[in-house]
Amino acid sequence: MENTNYPDGWVKEILETEFVKPSTRALLLDRLDTNTKSTPDFFDDESFSILQCVCMRLIPQDRNEPIDLAGLLDEQLSKSPGNGWRYDELPEDKVLFKKGIKGMEKLAQMAFAKTFCDLDDAETDQILLTIQAGNAKGYEWDQIPSNLFFEELLASLVELYYSHPLAKEEIGDISFADAKGWKNIGLDQIEKPNPNNR
Amino acid sequence: MTDENRTGSFYDIYGNRLPSRQFSNDEIVDAVVIGTGAGGAPLLSRLAGAGLKVVALEAGSHWSANKDFVTDEPGQAKLFWNDERLSAGKNALAFGNNNSGTGVGGSTLHYTAYVPRPQTDDFNLHTDFGVGVDWPIGYEDLESYFDEIEEFLGVSGPADYPWGKKRVKSYPLAPLPINGAGQLMKMGCDALGIKTSAAANAALSARYFQQGIGWREACANRGFCQAGCDIGAKGSMDVTYLPLAVQYGAEIRANSFVTGFERNQSGKISAVIYEKDGQEIRQKCSNVFLCAGAIETPRLLLINSLANSSGQVGKNFMAHTGMQVWGQFNHNIQPFKGIPGALISEDTHRPKEADFVGGYLLQSIGVMPVTYASQVARGAGLWGKALIEHMRCYNNTAGINILGECLPYDFNYVELSDETDQRGLPKPRIHFTFGENEKRLTAHAENVMRNIWSEAGAENVWSFNRGAHIIGTCRMGKKADQAVVNSEGQSFDIPNLFICDNSVFPSALSANPALTIMALSLRTADLFLSKTK
Repeated sequence: MENTNYPDGWVKEILETEFVKPSTRALLLDRLDTNTKSTPDFFDDESFSILQCVCMRLIPQDRNEPIDLAGLLDEQLSKSPGNGWRYDELPEDKVLFKKGIKGMEKLAQMAFAKTFCDLDDAETDQILLTIQAGNAKGYEWDQIPSNLFFEELLASLVELYYSHPLAKEEIGDISFADAKGWKNIGLDQIEKPNPNNR
Repeated sequence: MTDENRTGSFYDIYGNRLPSRQFSNDEIVDAVVIGTGAGGAPLLSRLAGAGLKVVALEAGSHWSANKDFVTDEPGQAKLFWNDERLSAGKNALAFGNNNSGTGVGGSTLHYTAYVPRPQTDDFNLHTDFGVGVDWPIGYEDLESYFDEIEEFLGVSGPADYPWGKKRVKSYPLAPLPINGAGQLMKMGCDALGIKTSAAANAALSARYFQQGIGWREACANRGFCQAGCDIGAKGSMDVTYLPLAVQYGAEIRANSFVTGFERNQSGKISAVIYEKDGQEIRQKCSNVFLCAGAIETPRLLLINSLANSSGQVGKNFMAHTGMQVWGQFNHNIQPFKGIPGALISEDTHRPKEADFVGGYLLQSIGVMPVTYASQVARGAGLWGKALIEHMRCYNNTAGINILGECLPYDFNYVELSDETDQRGLPKPRIHFTFGENEKRLTAHAENVMRNIWSEAGAENVWSFNRGAHIIGTCRMGKKADQAVVNSEGQSFDIPNLFICDNSVFPSALSANPALTIMALSLRTADLFLSKTK
């Protein structure tokens, strides 16, 4: 696949142009400037640390200052606006995420006699794949189908990640720069603004 | 109407005030309309246009799209029905941004404006196949309304549509331009001998003058239709039937959540009870039109033990078979550009070699970035490096999806759960499992879509099996013991209660529902008016 590497810094540059509606710009700049959360509001400190380790493995980031996915999820859960539905088999989000993270730690202890964050990559993946496959058993997992927890966790993190301007930069997502609409919409038609040729 | 009667307000997309009539709660209005989406808005304008006193109650907020909408998916989460629903069954459905809107304009605020007509045989599934049910009305009962609505909304479509009954009139506007996904789908279909056409979309391919409203701007190819159109080019109800209704003298009250009804000694509804700003309010009325969609409509009736002598309220819940097949290409596509559903094929409406009942349509699809990423997570289960690499090709991604028949089954239904929401009302639980017919139809469609993408040179192809649109739950029928409303949308139990939304559909139709809901809406209003004059 061609065109899959985009230059650094293009999002900030385009955000300042007339191609972005002021209200959209304000929202994305605000998201870009959000500080990393040092103390959680929703999770306890131990669970928050585990969540941070989980995030780095589910959505690895090669950045000096990674997007604070654990902090963003903590914030979302503390406000809990909801998204209109949940699987009937799962408890409410606030219960689900607390129990799920604790369940991940217990799986790590059981399988490797280590805390989740001390696992090496292969061990971490083994735990994550067990949960994703719905095969986690015991402890919290007797009440929570682990595949559904994994789906909810992953979807939540992915939505937070790809809403962030730096993730948009990574995938060349310039959809927000539409204040003048799009004119060249056909196959291989490139128009300004464009990540590769601002 | 004189200006002193117009003390209320409605706002256009720029936030300009349009004077609106305002009724007192103690005045017995001719009709209260619950919900302002595709079911409620057209009939609201029709009733107001006939001189009736009408009040619409909308649970959600009133947005001025140009002022209030941003090009950002989480920033537009306000367009969705975000009160929690419990989703059960083997194919448990996602609600919220998948299929359920809120706000003045209802789900049309987030629909893609895809408005194919159903075909004549869609209404006769039982006659043709011996399963499912027939509608108590047919295509011919709705045809003149299709013509009228397409003209009013300014539907963009091809001069000569290749499938279904020949049109009386052409679409009022030329088709919208075809984006990368549409071009690629056409390449694949051409190679396989599958006929395609530009699709019909209720988004303007040119500036359009509209009766009672004025000029609306042409579509700017933003492609964020499902997160709201901020220039009024999409034919959502807030820029079409609702301002027309206000001009005719209707009042629209936003943030008004209906919880119950008062009834008189003869059992008729005499007032609608709703919550607004934490207060309980009663609006006296002579008639009620319930247009809250296929979950909230039965939920409200079940909470109030109303109109359910048939036992059919909440039953026969359906969701269109809606599998998507995604591919990535060595082309720049930028799938956020252009109307998402640009190209259509209905060659699979009744496939000859089918081992299933009914059929489906095929459409090309563009996609917004966060929506796509979320589907990759849920549907493909990608994480780690595989996810990052896949998403790096977002700009090279295109999709095809189907919109297909779903039969009504006993095991698919809406019920009240024991859990309560923030208002203390029971949350709905929705059971949904695809039956054997849906599985066979989807398998057929997946094969066709994968072949199309293979011919077009796709890589990283994956399928996302999903149900689209919420349908059924208050079916229309001929007999009071088998249906909730009669063929005119009137409750068999309560003569001054009418239902008009996707809940009255007896069968799913293999076409997107919005146009049919609007047509039912105008028909319900006209039949009501013809009997009250």
